[in-house]
Parts: sequence; structure tokens; C-alpha cells
Amino acid sequence: MPVSVLSALRRLRRRLAIGLFLDAWPVWAIASLLVAGVTALVCRMFVPAAASRLPWLWIVPLLAVVPALVTCIRRAYRPAEVVALADALGGGRGLLLAVHETNDPQWTDSSMFERAAAFPLPRLRLARSHAAVLPALAFLAIALWLPQRALRPGGTVLADDIASDLTATVVELKQQQLVTPDEQERLDEEIERIRRGAQDRVDASSWEAADALREKLAADLSGKQNAVKWAKDSLARYQAAVRAGANGSNGESSADAQAAELTKALESLAKSGLLAGAPPELRGLLKGGTLPTDPKALGELSASLSKYLETTNGRFGEVAKLGKEFGRFDPSEFPIASDEPSPDGDGEPGRGGINRGRADAELTWGKETQLFDRFKAEPLPPGAARSAEDWAPIVELPGVPKASPEASVPSAVRQYAAAAGQSAWRRTLAPRHQSAVKKYFAK
Amino acid sequence: MTRDAAALPAPDRVADGQAKIARLVDELRRVILGKEQTIDEIVAALFARGHVLLEGLPGLGKTELVKALSRLLSLDFRRIQFTPDLLPTDITGSHILQERDGRKEFVFHPGPVFTSLLLADEINRASPKTQAALLEAMQERRVTTFGETRALPDPFFVLATQNPIELEGTYPLPEAQLDRFMFKVDVAGVERSVLEEILVTRVHGEPPPLEPVLSVGDLRDLFSLVDAIHLPRAVAGYIARLVAASHPSSAEAPDAVRTFVKYGSSPRAAISIGVASRALALLRGKPGVGFDEVRQVAKPAMAHRLVLDYAARLEGWDGRRIVAALLDAVPEVERALPQTLERG
Repeated sequence: MPVSVLSALRRLRRRLAIGLFLDAWPVWAIASLLVAGVTALVCRMFVPAAASRLPWLWIVPLLAVVPALVTCIRRAYRPAEVVALADALGGGRGLLLAVHETNDPQWTDSSMFERAAAFPLPRLRLARSHAAVLPALAFLAIALWLPQRALRPGGTVLADDIASDLTATVVELKQQQLVTPDEQERLDEEIERIRRGAQDRVDASSWEAADALREKLAADLSGKQNAVKWAKDSLARYQAAVRAGANGSNGESSADAQAAELTKALESLAKSGLLAGAPPELRGLLKGGTLPTDPKALGELSASLSKYLETTNGRFGEVAKLGKEFGRFDPSEFPIASDEPSPDGDGEPGRGGINRGRADAELTWGKETQLFDRFKAEPLPPGAARSAEDWAPIVELPGVPKASPEASVPSAVRQYAAAAGQSAWRRTLAPRHQSAVKKYFAK
Repeated sequence: MTRDAAALPAPDRVADGQAKIARLVDELRRVILGKEQTIDEIVAALFARGHVLLEGLPGLGKTELVKALSRLLSLDFRRIQFTPDLLPTDITGSHILQERDGRKEFVFHPGPVFTSLLLADEINRASPKTQAALLEAMQERRVTTFGETRALPDPFFVLATQNPIELEGTYPLPEAQLDRFMFKVDVAGVERSVLEEILVTRVHGEPPPLEPVLSVGDLRDLFSLVDAIHLPRAVAGYIARLVAASHPSSAEAPDAVRTFVKYGSSPRAAISIGVASRALALLRGKPGVGFDEVRQVAKPAMAHRLVLDYAARLEGWDGRRIVAALLDAVPEVERALPQTLERG
């Protein structure tokens, strides 16, 4: 073969290789783009951590070059096929094929061979086979263009919402010095536990846990409020008893009893942690363990304790206002304590007023009756068993009761008893069978 | 005949052969006007040493073409007009009792088949028995009578004609006998300009005077040259795929074949296409066969070898149309261009 023809065949071979590659690559590219697009979609929706790496998916079409090249190499045209294609492209004259197969040089100088060797190279036709790549590219572009879905799922948002509500309440209680550091630490742990539980799964139990904690808070506050109230009442009774003792009446023993009650009330107050914020002089006065009896010291203690208890009560009032700010905090749980009795009563069961009693009382837990508020047991009068004389007839009917056995027999049996064996068959036998039955019973 | 595929015929030899054939073709074109393709096909079959069945309406020059061919080739020429009462011995010849030197003996009188160029006119009018006598001679190139076998002259060509109309009282050739003909050439009508030329140049329609252009020796040289024409393997593969695809059970068969063909072409069709392509390549002055020659000879070589379904007639499909569908469906090169490439 002349060099010029060989070079032309090499050009054709390269063009065929390009054609094979361009045949194979779009298939791989489309497949890889679709896979990349789906991957991008999945990452956009479920794997936010991979968001920064998603732009690397654009190199997928380039990676598709590798399998396309492998396919291209495996399907490469053999030399005889290249020559056959060259001959066909040149008009199917057959001279190229003949010279290639025989290696006979005597025809290579002929004009006919020159014409046969001047075959046109096939043209690339990209639009048709590569048009399908564009939708796949668009799919990947759209998948990458989509905004990343938020890292925090909806459960986390709700959990934070629940926790922030409770945390705000605790913070407010801390500001009002109504919780001790230990209590606050416990509450924080509890809130965190509720938040973590809600993060995993938000359901009714999450809200129930939050409500339970809220009720526990309300119960604790109510207990503390009762302790303050007890202390105030005990102080007032103690003062009255001391004044009565000073007037010479029999208030000596009563003052001792009231002092013991006041001591218990103050212990309860200290136990609830409310005395931690008391002024130092009050704590100094209370440090002795025994209550003063002289009027001056007693007056100072009463003034100081009253002032502190008023301040503490005011804090409860502030907490009660919190309910308006945080919708889930029920302000009715924190009634503002006042010395003036309400005309309708205070709503507390057993405390008097027209709304007393369980029927109008709020259904709450944790408001156990304090010691000072308990009813005293009163024994009921002894009971007596009733005698037969207590019974008296209402009315007396005349005569003896009638016994009627027939009335107890079923009515249907009574109805057909008379005609049994005579008329029943007439109703159930077909006319054509009646003669046979008659004959049988006639024997 | 086998041949050495490692050499091509010399360019001078091919050019000389092409020139001789071209003279023959030119003369024939002088006799029969406007039938270039028909003449090419007949000449190709002639140099491929195949027999030709000419089919066409009366008056289209079939007989004149064969007569002109005989004159140009300076071959012995006979013509048999086939009729229903023609007997086999009227073709092959028979033994006749003769007295020779006082003795009576059977002497063989050769029939008209003992010629180099035989025109079997209206072959479908003879009985099948008579047709078979001729067709056996065509295949075997020898005649056996009374136990004696006699070879027919070499070369021996049969050019038969048949009329596609007036079919009453005719005996259509069976497919097995049609297969003996290398080509079946449809002789179509001529254009108006050709008719004008005939009217102007030929008063009574007589052909121009002809002189022989090829001797028997030339013919034999050309036959050997045709055999030397190279058939590339890719082209042979194309022929094989064409013939294979003509069978409806073939995976490569086009829809037309699956629908209208009952039986495809025989291997003899592939052989005929190969050798006729060689002859046509020589006619074009080429040392090897190309796809183009195969496409040209495929129709006359394959069309009459297809056994068509009755649906083909109802739908107006004939053998040539189905071969055209085959040529469209079967690619020349087994591995076509990649889809992203197209012919420039």
C-alpha cells in the first residue's frame, strides 16, 4: 500500500475510534449523570454533611470517559474492517479491498487506485446522539441547585421549643430567688432529658413530660407559698400570744405552743430554701434557735420577718405574672397571697367562703393540707343496730296468692295440643304424598 | 474452479479485456437502443458463463438481441421456437436408422442444442418434459441419448425468452429449473426518444449490419480473465449476507422477506452473484469486485430464485422489489459506521 493510502486509512481508523467513543460515552455519561443527580437529591434531603462535596459530582461525566474508552478499545475496528469501510465510503469500487488483500503493487500506481484511495472521511454527527446528555445534565444541575434541607429536623425544633419554655420558667424562678441552686440543677437536668427525648421523637409523651415538670414546679412553688403563709400566720399568732401573756392572762402556755408552731414554720421555710435570701440580721436573729420573748426583740423579729415574708410574697406575685408571658404557665397556680379575705373565700378547700368545697376547688396535686390547717379529728356518736320493730308494712293485700300452672306452659304448645297428630300433616305434606302417608297409617 | 487469491490480474490484461468487452457492448447498444442496463446484465452473464432467461412483452427486441450477440461473437447459433408439441428429441437430437455401406444402423442426429448459442424462444410454451430436456443440458452441458453421452460445445449459452402475457396453454418453469438460469432479465419498454431514433434510423426495424468482434479464442481468454478477477472477502461476506437474509427465517431478513418470501435464494444464487460480479468488474476495468457490482447483479441473479408467498402477488411485490428491499436492509460492510458518524 502506498504511504498516502496508509495515512488515509489511519485517519479513517482514528475517526472510527472517535465515533466509537462518542457512541459509547453518552450512554455512560447519561447513566452517571442520572446516578449523580439522584445522589445529589438524596444528599440534599437527607445527608447535609455531604453538601460541601456535592459540586464534585460535576466530574462524573469525565469519569464516564473511562468505561467508554474501555468499550471503545474492545470494539475497535480491525484493519480489514477499516479497509472495507474505506472502500464502501469511496463508492464500493473494491480496488482498495483487492489491493489490501493481495498486497499486489501493480495496481497502486493506477488512476483508478488513486480515486479509490481518495475516499471521504465520515463526518461527525454529534447532535443526534448527544442530545440526550443535556436532559441528564439539567437533572444534575437542578439537583445541585436545590437548597439544602435543614439539618435540624422538625422534632428538634419542637424539642427546643418545649425546653425553652421550661428553661425560661426556671430562669424566672431563679431571678425571683424562688429556687435553690440544687433545685435549679435538678430542673435543668430534667429539662435536658425532656429535650433529648423530644429530639428523638416528638409525641404525646413529650408534652406530658413537660406538663408534669410544669406541674411539679407549680406544686413546689405552692408548697413554698404555703410555708410563707404558715410562717406569717404563726408569727401573728405568736405575737398575739405573747401580748396576751404580757397582759397577765393565761397566755404563758399558749405562747409556748405558738412559739413551737412558729419554730416549725420557720424550719419549713428554711427547708424550702426561702430563708437563703433573707437579710443577714434576720438570719442572725433566727440563728439562736429560740425566739425572743422581750417585746423589743420580738418587735424587731416581727418587723424584719414580716418585711421579708412580704417581699417573698411579692416574688410569688411576680411569678404569677409569668403565666401571661409563657402561655403554658397557668397563673391560677400562683394566686397572689393577700391578707384581706375575698368575699367569696380563697377557693381553698375547707377554708371558708361560698366557693369552698371540692366542687369548686381546682383539681391539683401536691397541695397537701399543712399541719396548721388540718381539721381536728372529732369522733362521731356511737351507732346503734336497728331492731325488727323498726320495720312496718306499707300495704296488706287480701286473699291467698293464686297458683296457675297452665300459665307457665308455652303458648304454642297449648295452641296445637288439641289437633296434634290430626291436622299437622295436612299442612306439611304435599298432596301427591298424602295417599302414601294415609296408607301407611291405615295399617 | 479454485483460484489463487494472492495476485491480481495485470492492469494491461484487464484493460485489454475491458476493451474487447466494451466493443461487444457498444455493438449491442447499436443494435438494441435504450437497453444499456439489460445489455450489461446479459454480457455479464455471458462472460460468467451463465444462461439467461429474458422476460418481456413481444416486440421489445429480445430475439434480435440474441441474434446480434451470436453474430458479434461469431458463435454457432441455433434457435428453437418452443411449442406445446415439441418433443425432447427435437432439442437433444435422436438416433435414426440409416443404411450405411449396406448395413443398417442407428446414426445419431444431433439436435439444435448442439450449438454454442441457443435461443430458446418462448420456453414456457413447451411441455415440462421438453423443458426438462433442455434444462438438463444447460446444467450438465452434455446430452445423453441411448446410453451415449455427448458433450455440448464450449462455450455453450442458452438465452431463453418467455412472455409474461398469453399464459393460457403455457407451462411456467418450476423454481428448480429457474434456478439453472444465472440471470432472469426483465426486458422493459423503451422511452419515446428511443422510439423516435428507431423510426428515423430503421425503416423496417432491421438492425444495422454487424461484424464479429470476438472470436472463440478471445472468449476463452476473457473467461479466464473473469476467473482471475479478485473477489475480496468483505465483498464475499456481503454476498453471503444478502443471500442468507433472503430466507424468512434469517435474523437479518427484512420485513418484506419475512412477509412475502416462502423460500429464499439457494447457494447457487450466491455463486452466480459472485461470478457475475467478477464479469461486471472486468467490464468496468477493475481487477477486483466491489460492493457496487454486487448491488447491480443482485436483482437479476436473485429475483427469480425467490419463492414468493401468495400475499406478495396480492400486495404487488415481485422478486426484484424484494431484492431491492434486501439491498436496502443489508449493509455492505458487516460492521457499519458508528452512529455518530455519517458518510461525507
